[in-house]
Amino acid sequence: MSGERAIVRAAGERVSRVEEAGMREFLGFMLGEETYALPLSCIREILRMPAVAEVPRAAPDVLGIVSVRGQVTTLIDLRQRMSLPKLPFGPRTRVLLVDQGDETLGLLCDRVLSVYRLSETEVELATVLGNEASSYVMGIGRPGARRVPRGGAVAQEILILLDPIALLKRHGHG
Amino acid sequence: MGSSTQSDKAREEFLAEAQELVEGLSRDLLMLDEGERRGQRNPETLNDLFRGVHTLKGLSGMFGFERLGRLSHVLEDTLEDLRMGRLELSQPALDVLFEGVEGFQRLLADAARPEGTSTVDIDALASRVGGIARAEAAEHDVLRDYELEPNVLGVLTEYEEHRLRTNLEQGFSIYRLRIRLALDVIDTALDQLRERLKSISEIITYLPSMEGGSVDAIDIEMLLSTRATESDLRTALGRADGVLSLVQKRRGGADPSLTAQSLRPVTTGGQPIEATKAQLPERVAAEAGADMSLRSLTNVVRVDIRKLDYLMNVVGELGTVRAALGRLVEKMRVSADHALASEAHRLARVFGRHLAEVQEGVLDIRMVPLSQLFDKVAVIVRQVARDQHKEVRLLITGGETEVDKLIAEELADPMMHIVRNAIDHGVEVAEQRASLGKPAVATLAINAYQKGSHVVIELSDDGRGIDTDLVREAAIRKGLLSDQVVSDLSREELLNVVFMPGFSTASAVTDLSGRGVGMDVVKTNITRLGGAVDLESDVGVGTKITITLPITLAIMSALLFEVRGRVLAIPLAVVQEALRLPAAAVRTIEGREVLSLRGATLPLCRLGDFFRFSRRPIGAPESTAATEEHFVIVVAVGNRRLGLCVDRLAGQQDIVIKGLGRSLSQVQGISGATDLGDQRLVLVVDAAAIVEETLLGRTSHMLARGLS
Repeated sequence: MSGERAIVRAAGERVSRVEEAGMREFLGFMLGEETYALPLSCIREILRMPAVAEVPRAAPDVLGIVSVRGQVTTLIDLRQRMSLPKLPFGPRTRVLLVDQGDETLGLLCDRVLSVYRLSETEVELATVLGNEASSYVMGIGRPGARRVPRGGAVAQEILILLDPIALLKRHGHG
Repeated sequence: MGSSTQSDKAREEFLAEAQELVEGLSRDLLMLDEGERRGQRNPETLNDLFRGVHTLKGLSGMFGFERLGRLSHVLEDTLEDLRMGRLELSQPALDVLFEGVEGFQRLLADAARPEGTSTVDIDALASRVGGIARAEAAEHDVLRDYELEPNVLGVLTEYEEHRLRTNLEQGFSIYRLRIRLALDVIDTALDQLRERLKSISEIITYLPSMEGGSVDAIDIEMLLSTRATESDLRTALGRADGVLSLVQKRRGGADPSLTAQSLRPVTTGGQPIEATKAQLPERVAAEAGADMSLRSLTNVVRVDIRKLDYLMNVVGELGTVRAALGRLVEKMRVSADHALASEAHRLARVFGRHLAEVQEGVLDIRMVPLSQLFDKVAVIVRQVARDQHKEVRLLITGGETEVDKLIAEELADPMMHIVRNAIDHGVEVAEQRASLGKPAVATLAINAYQKGSHVVIELSDDGRGIDTDLVREAAIRKGLLSDQVVSDLSREELLNVVFMPGFSTASAVTDLSGRGVGMDVVKTNITRLGGAVDLESDVGVGTKITITLPITLAIMSALLFEVRGRVLAIPLAVVQEALRLPAAAVRTIEGREVLSLRGATLPLCRLGDFFRFSRRPIGAPESTAATEEHFVIVVAVGNRRLGLCVDRLAGQQDIVIKGLGRSLSQVQGISGATDLGDQRLVLVVDAAAIVEETLLGRTSHMLARGLS
């Protein structure tokens, strides 16, 4: 966990520098078989799956609440929110702490990958997906040239870039 | 401090609040001043100032600080003129504003001192502040604005009159000094007097008085112009035995010739002013003026409630440490060195005791007397009654009852709605009351008292009461409830319809005898605080609303229990008893389960079903078979009782309750969560909401529909 926190913190310090260079940093993670990414700047911390207290009568994508250093934090099952199939939690399940207005939410993902630095040319806008794209998909990241696997022209990595504001908006007073 | 009375406490609160306001005024004024210097005028700053002074005026009036109120009043008028552009914001105007704010500070300093020693000449200050307005209004003669009788003005030389006018225009105060000088030393005495006064004032004129005097003495009357305060003047006068009075601003700009008589009090009314002077040690006045601005006025510290919440959280965490420590000590007693174990046991007990003291201390800091709230209510009652042309007598008892500050704050809106409604809709006009044989003056009674760990507030009026027939009719008309449902409702349930959102906002029911706007707000706010609202009403006799609230939300004793493998907590304050469920005694009435308990019927609620818990909690092994409900927790909320069926009781513990985030604000039946110390959160059930939903299911179902 501390390693992951270190990634976030160190990356956070670099954000401004990277943005000046026309690059943006994203944290990649897995939901089921798909690779997603959120802007690194919105992620406060990465946690291991803590003990969850189930909240009856909450929205279906609310997994429950957890205590993060004494703060009651709502956990959201991202898979459920993205209408992906349900899977059991594994040892690599992680919670991404994200600030949303006056509260901090925990987003559950199956596995944290790494930090991706994407230049503008490596980001496709969501419009390539047509109207099918959900409102919270910002675009598609193609960490191309820099990260082409050694094998050559094997399947290139694709990151579904999520807009944290649109993603979490429904959990306001909805 | 600990022994301070309630009124002292309210006074301290006021002083602290006023102090804060005045500090805000200073800041705003400085900003305004700076803006002027740089030629950037921000009208908002002026508006902020105006609002600040306005609030201070209201507060002063409420707490009976008459002098503060008067100064606020003139400052407010002036600021209003400035704001509206009726008056130019000139440097002298700013100066006087600063002087006014400084006056507030000194008045507050006076108020903080034990007895009525005052260093501020409020009249002079007020007139100087009010004076800007006049000075700026160019076209008319300022002399007409002051209580200067024609026979005085008549004897002024042209130069003296010019000086007088200029001084008034510049916002100086004019004092009249009447002093008796012995004839044999009159020359030296006058010289001395002139010397003393010259340093802080300009002597416009002096003339022998027609009145008073004696064989060997003569009364001299002087007109002094000064920026100094009256007390400074008195200091300068030293031992000289004079009567000093401010030349007042004329009210309503009456013709000077008509006010000649009104001047009498100025010349003949020396006694009261002398009395004031006698009370005022000159030394105090001088010293006070020198260093007052930097000194704090009260030893009250205003603390952001969130800091106390944080502290309370820490105390709560310590409580869990204490519990763990206790368990450890018990283990040691069995296995380890006996002497060491008993030493550890002793330390754990000392720790526990001190922790309890800290907890109590933090809780005590949060407590405020309800009178703080009731005072505000009283203002509203007066206002509404006046607006409605109704006569209402307000009777307040139990204002000394203390509640958590947070609760007092949250109570403000509901209380306001209730009294407003009581007067608006409940109280009849005097003639109608008379024809009904009721006393012409209606009575609104507020009574508060502590009942265990709860505070009860009763608000009753002797108005016309709520006619349930009209409620029924209105509910159907508004489409809130169907004919069928309404006809099934008991009288109590019908009264509760008043709390439904759709009902209270319906404009069509404002003619309804009884409550109108905002009762749903009342209910929502009180329920959110873990409280309950009960309503009793008799047509023609009156209405009584009873609010029951926990004394504090910060920390509470809770009963832990299990339902289908989940641990939950319930505040002990609402629990009457917990007992084994005698399965054989459960009956159903109209499909609802009830328990006959000692000859009384207790409705039951199976919590597992209520919360729609699956049979197996997250992460639990399959083998955790469904357990049966073996226990009943009997809860009482207001005057309603309900038995909660649970699987197992799991002990009692002090908990710090934490709210769920905004994302879960819609969840009904859960009031928060608590950390039991093992990093695992336990939900705290909201007994009031469960009782509400279970017992008044039909109406709250409608309520939920109304909300969505």
